Amino acid sequence: MTRAVVVTGAGGVGKTTLSAALGASIARLGASTLVLTIDPAKRLADALGVEHIGDEPALVAGSDRMWAAMLDVSASWEAIVYRYADPEVGRRLLQNPYFRAIADRFPAAQSYAAGERMAEYIETKKFDVVVVDTPPSGGGIDFFRAPGMTNDLISGRLLKWLTGSNMPGRRLMYRFTARPMLHIADAVLGGPMLGDVANFLIDLRTMYDALSERSRTIESYLKGATTIITTTADPTPIHETRRFFDELHGIHIEPAAIIFNRMLPPAWMKAASRPARGGRDAELHAIAVTNLRAWATEARRQSDAADELSARYHVPVYPVPWKTPPPQNLDELDKLIEPTGIVQDLLS
Amino acid sequence: MPRTRLIFVSGKGGTGKSAVAAAIAIDHARRGRRVLAIDMIGSRGLAAHLRATSLTYRPTEVRAGLFAMEMNRSDALDEYLKLQLHVPQGAPTGPISQALSVLADTAPGVREIISIGKPIYETWKNVWDIVVVDASSLGLFQSYLRAPRTIARLVSTGGVARQADKLEGTLTDPGVTATYLVATPAELPVIETAEAITAIDRESLGPRPTVIINRFIPRSGLTERDLEHLGSGALRDAAALQLGLEKDQARWITSLDHDVRLPYLFGVHTPGEVAIKLADEIKVPL
Repeated sequence: MTRAVVVTGAGGVGKTTLSAALGASIARLGASTLVLTIDPAKRLADALGVEHIGDEPALVAGSDRMWAAMLDVSASWEAIVYRYADPEVGRRLLQNPYFRAIADRFPAAQSYAAGERMAEYIETKKFDVVVVDTPPSGGGIDFFRAPGMTNDLISGRLLKWLTGSNMPGRRLMYRFTARPMLHIADAVLGGPMLGDVANFLIDLRTMYDALSERSRTIESYLKGATTIITTTADPTPIHETRRFFDELHGIHIEPAAIIFNRMLPPAWMKAASRPARGGRDAELHAIAVTNLRAWATEARRQSDAADELSARYHVPVYPVPWKTPPPQNLDELDKLIEPTGIVQDLLS
Repeated sequence: MPRTRLIFVSGKGGTGKSAVAAAIAIDHARRGRRVLAIDMIGSRGLAAHLRATSLTYRPTEVRAGLFAMEMNRSDALDEYLKLQLHVPQGAPTGPISQALSVLADTAPGVREIISIGKPIYETWKNVWDIVVVDASSLGLFQSYLRAPRTIARLVSTGGVARQADKLEGTLTDPGVTATYLVATPAELPVIETAEAITAIDRESLGPRPTVIINRFIPRSGLTERDLEHLGSGALRDAAALQLGLEKDQARWITSLDHDVRLPYLFGVHTPGEVAIKLADEIKVPL
């Protein structure tokens, strides 16, 4: 069975790099692995040796079992429409200006598309492990909620209000546009937007049964996945990490581990308390001591934050050292994660 | 009466835009101005940086002269209908409000116009010296700025269209509105910020944004050659890290014109401390 590893975390903590590094380590240990990424920096794409990561999985240079694919949201929504809508309705939907607007803008759209992609790759059984780098929408939490939110969009109060509780047909539109209050609404708003919107929603709703079943399947994959939270010791990511734990708990998902990125050696705290020495190079030495002391306050903050998170949520914290420059190739990506032992702990 | 200034703060996720928005608001309040800070996406990031347990749609005073509020769509929708569209007395506001709510979930631009409308109405009221908006991240922020035009393409007459036109007038008036984009000196923030500026310029979505570089690591005075004189151990390793970061940030910072640098804060524990320390670093009011 294909295992899913879902990597989440606040913006700017190195989530995409860590996802790729996890993939590299898992693949090196023998599993065929797909990393599904969202928007890799050019430098990361270079490190993977995939000059142009596309929607289709491509083998990463230097490996015979690590694959990478990038999520193209609008392409994914088109695929969903073709898959779940009647061909004629599908064509109409794809030509509808509202469809593009929803696909691009519905806050959970990218997340839903990512979940759908994950599900497809789990079902092809082509990979032993699929590592998913989650979209940033809703601070990352949308990825876990998107299936339900998408259901609400299609089935929800919008359409019920417009068309009543039954699954509407097109002829219902005539009844609907005849409602006097809609004329008032259109006059105030500058219509006729509502009729157009309703037409669109009716088409969208024909996908309802298929999509809602699909949403439940995706939710079950998410619950079965190994969820990893990435963070740094900066106050905002720490704040977000607490929120992740609380909100994920609310939807019955318990993260398995925290990867703490950009950790400094704890030994720096003690080393920083030594006084600067005199003699030759005294001036250089003083500058270096000042520098070490600044970084030691960071080491202190990190160690406090990591201890607090681990005690509060009872999950292992895997520290990844602060590397500069960032990883340049597959081997360096692997070396970022391999020493932590997280792959053996979580996946064997 | 002095005109209210409207300041939007946006940036790629993770660059510290909420912290910077809070710092700008605190700095102005310290200078004796009456400030309203708005969390436009309800992310709670602004609340944490202002040390407020939670914010509501109704502005509350979080420190002397500094009021803060959080966007809430249904409250914003009601206000929009009553105050801006002047829905006539006796008209069935229920259905109209519901119609608009349906549109807000579906039609392009409607939700955005309701969200970006709120800070602009607060500006029009002329009761604040400064309105600071913790806006959404770069992509969404641009769709907010485009909202009036998106609306104009869909509807040409009626209240929504008239309102959109008026909003655009304020958004693009450099005498009222300023935009700050926050970037850290790293690859993706620099590239995406440059792209956002190009788009805002090309489409004339507003005054040219000012760039704030956040988490700039102050130079240590060390050089690569010094490393060999530091032996092995913590002293050398910390120097090597510092030099590596200086080099990397120099590479990215040169490719993005910027006006302000805010420093990396060492050893700061809470969002509240971050905002206060950043406010201390603002020498010339933004």
